[in-house]
Amino acid sequence: MKQRIILSILVFIFILSTIPLHSGIFPFQVHRKVLDNGMKILVIPLPNPGLVAYYSVVRTGSRDEYEPGHSGFAHFFEHMMFRGTKRFPNELYQKILTEMGAASNGYTSLDLTVYHLIITKDDLEQLMDMESDRFRNLEYTEQDFKTESGAVYGEYLKNKTNPGFLLNETLMNTAFDVHTYKHTTMGFEADIKAMPTMYEYSKSFFKRYYRPENVVLVVCGDVVPDQVFKMAEKYYSPWEKGYVPPKIQEEPEQTAPRSGNVKFEGKTLPILAVGYKGLRYMPDSKEYVAMSLLGDVMFGSTSDFYNNLVLEKQIAQFAFASFNGDRDPSINTIMVMIKKKENIDLVKQTIADTIKKFQTDLMDSKKLEDLKNSNKYSFLMQLSSTGDVAGMLPSFIALTGDITAIDTYFETLGTVTPEDIRQAAIKFLTDNRKTEILLEGE
Amino acid sequence: MKRLMLLFLSAVLIVGFSMNTFAVSPIKVVQMKIQNEPIISLYFVFHTGSIHDPEGKIGLARLTASLISDGGTLKNSLKVINEKMYPIASGYGARVDREYINFNGQTHIDNLETFYTLFKEAILEPAFNEDDFVRIKTQMINGIKTNLRYSSDEELGKAVFKSFVYRGTPYEKNVAGTVSNLESITLDDVKAFYKSHFLQDNLIIGVGGNYPATFPDRVVADFSKLPTGNALEYKKIVPEKINGIQVIIVDKPTVSAGIHIGFPIDLMRKDPDFHALFLANSWLGEHRNSSSHLYQVIREKRGMNYGDYSYIEDFPNGGGLNFPPSIVYKNPQLFEIWIRPVEKDKRVFALRAALRELKSLIDNGMKKEDFELTKKFLAKYCQHYADTTAQRLGYKIDDMIYGLKESHLDNFRKNIEALTLDQVNKAIKKHLQYNNLRIVFVTSDGEQLKNDLITNAPSPITYRTPKPEEVLTEDKEIAVFPLKVLPENVTIIKVDDIFK
Repeated sequence: MKQRIILSILVFIFILSTIPLHSGIFPFQVHRKVLDNGMKILVIPLPNPGLVAYYSVVRTGSRDEYEPGHSGFAHFFEHMMFRGTKRFPNELYQKILTEMGAASNGYTSLDLTVYHLIITKDDLEQLMDMESDRFRNLEYTEQDFKTESGAVYGEYLKNKTNPGFLLNETLMNTAFDVHTYKHTTMGFEADIKAMPTMYEYSKSFFKRYYRPENVVLVVCGDVVPDQVFKMAEKYYSPWEKGYVPPKIQEEPEQTAPRSGNVKFEGKTLPILAVGYKGLRYMPDSKEYVAMSLLGDVMFGSTSDFYNNLVLEKQIAQFAFASFNGDRDPSINTIMVMIKKKENIDLVKQTIADTIKKFQTDLMDSKKLEDLKNSNKYSFLMQLSSTGDVAGMLPSFIALTGDITAIDTYFETLGTVTPEDIRQAAIKFLTDNRKTEILLEGE
Repeated sequence: MKRLMLLFLSAVLIVGFSMNTFAVSPIKVVQMKIQNEPIISLYFVFHTGSIHDPEGKIGLARLTASLISDGGTLKNSLKVINEKMYPIASGYGARVDREYINFNGQTHIDNLETFYTLFKEAILEPAFNEDDFVRIKTQMINGIKTNLRYSSDEELGKAVFKSFVYRGTPYEKNVAGTVSNLESITLDDVKAFYKSHFLQDNLIIGVGGNYPATFPDRVVADFSKLPTGNALEYKKIVPEKINGIQVIIVDKPTVSAGIHIGFPIDLMRKDPDFHALFLANSWLGEHRNSSSHLYQVIREKRGMNYGDYSYIEDFPNGGGLNFPPSIVYKNPQLFEIWIRPVEKDKRVFALRAALRELKSLIDNGMKKEDFELTKKFLAKYCQHYADTTAQRLGYKIDDMIYGLKESHLDNFRKNIEALTLDQVNKAIKKHLQYNNLRIVFVTSDGEQLKNDLITNAPSPITYRTPKPEEVLTEDKEIAVFPLKVLPENVTIIKVDDIFK
């Protein structure tokens, strides 16, 4: 026993190049099964004696909160799911997890809610029994519901002390009119405050979205696929279908640039956020992949923009860009913290000049190769432990329902040329797609 | 597939650890050779930190280390370094703490040569040029003036609390400096600090992964270019005696209140009571885990905040990490209770709730069933503490720093399983107490809070939502839990005066 535990502490090694398990960049074999009720299970054996990562990915995030006045419920369920069931009331559930020494947590974003645990392999069946039970039979009293809504509001207050949170909240609210990306994952403050009155609604939210067709289970680590599938049949098959897709309104095409200002109740240097509406996540589309690279190429840590504003002129305290696709077309953002107020216009102009340059000139092909290599090694270096491997998968699952998108993205990446980058800059960085928000402190 | 798995296992289970002091060098080396591990981890850990910041130059150690990790070298500007690191998706960083400066980074084995060359040059041949100096110094000053004071009440509370707990000792100095001190630091100060504090004699090198057999020797030979000798002073840190309950209120416009409670404890990893108190603390407040008793009382039953934890070793960056970081050694360590922000009108109640639980643990000890459950929990949970080579290597370096004869991590389970309830309860009585505490609040209306504390006025709680009868009954006891706070022991500091 001691030997096994020591090994599990000491050993987690991936042979990324020596055993060709798979032709794509994702180096591990993935075993799949879809149950009759539509629930998909992915099992990925890893050479990590003793440990198992158990990720339940619900393909519902704040995107699915389409009913007015009810934002924040996806995140709220991340909290409620720990409230227990008849068979495993909260205290018993917690006690068993404690006995298991489980590392457990959850998170929510625009497109997903994830419940993750890392346990020792001997506890897998017990865990699956409990997890399947809470996904099928979650039960909570109105009192529990109201108590948890207080904790959620506490989390909102904590986040609100961060100017980055406030800026993002304002950016999304300004950029979108009808699509649910208008609110952040936390939800609108008024909705969070009103949550305690929405007990009945919460039950309908759970019934509609926590259904097998909308959940993908990932089990990674020291596991045998057939055994996991057999267990999954036993515990998840009784879960009834019933997913009701959200009625999300499509965002109309933006026709003019937008802008806004937001005041942070505290001191901060000014932060400028410039967002451009983009494409939804499409790993097989060269146009999408080229768009996703623009942020790094134009504003990343080796860009002329960064070198000029952060390292040489030292006008900006920091600058970064995030160009990632979501499940529906969302927004790609450049953020710059500016040291002196009088330089705000200069930063805006430098952003515009940078865009113009990339729309006109072809980027250096060596830089593009560097970027491709950077993506590759960055990916490989994330595969350091069972938790790391499992942890990188949920976003792909949320966006596409599987993880084949990883290999597809890298295949498409290999074909992107400097001209593709130029075309993406021309198409996606236009004034009609732009929203600009300036945050300033007191 | 089964055959492949066996191949995997037989290939990977060739693991070796060793700690060397090379005969010809004062440099200490911790090696963790792991066959087929493609990620190479490197640590350069210097036994110096903010304890060595000179009077009037607080922040110098951090500024110097930041210039090394985020500045140019004699061979390359930062721009060129970034360009070379970019295609290999690698990098190095510096974590500066009270006692140690830890430079570390990882790279894929394909890129070891490029990575190591740049990393080595950063430490051995820093350019210390004016542009980098101005940039980083400005960032650090802005980091206090805006980020720390206004962007994260949680980190602000932790920073003030740590300085307060160690008041009167070299640990009091804020690692990130103070605004006026940072403003007074010159580039010459940085160069002088580098020259006198980055020495072979206070260096530990850590190497992990499937590195070439000759690599450690090469690294030691390279770093033997650093000066030898060690004239640095490491005075024993003797904390002030805390008399009664002493409070700092950081007064700032906010609707919430974050609370930190604690005191230094003279208990280190090699001490016989360490695991006993570790277990008790895990029950009271395991970090970011719902098994924490404080979490159950304050968050789970009452929905007052996001989480409530306790510690018997320093745990920086608690908001960002799920498991304890390595190389943040302190001697003495500190005991801390961390109440994450609660609504302002519940701040005194939250303090009372935490103190009441602490008192109960000390007066009554752990219950048998809680002891058994926590023992089971830790025996398995310890597997999560370090699940990558880089993290395990960090723990190995800590073993050397803490002067352990056997590995803390490898023997953790054995040591926990050997504990008895009696040992644990004796350790609680011996090392914890509730009469002499230092407390930090980050909140608004400081005068009102001071008055509430010194008058020991009841602090009944009201909820927006109904609560079970047993919670309401317990609330009545919590609301009048005695607070013995003298007016002269409460200091209110305006947020703009923090680390000024």
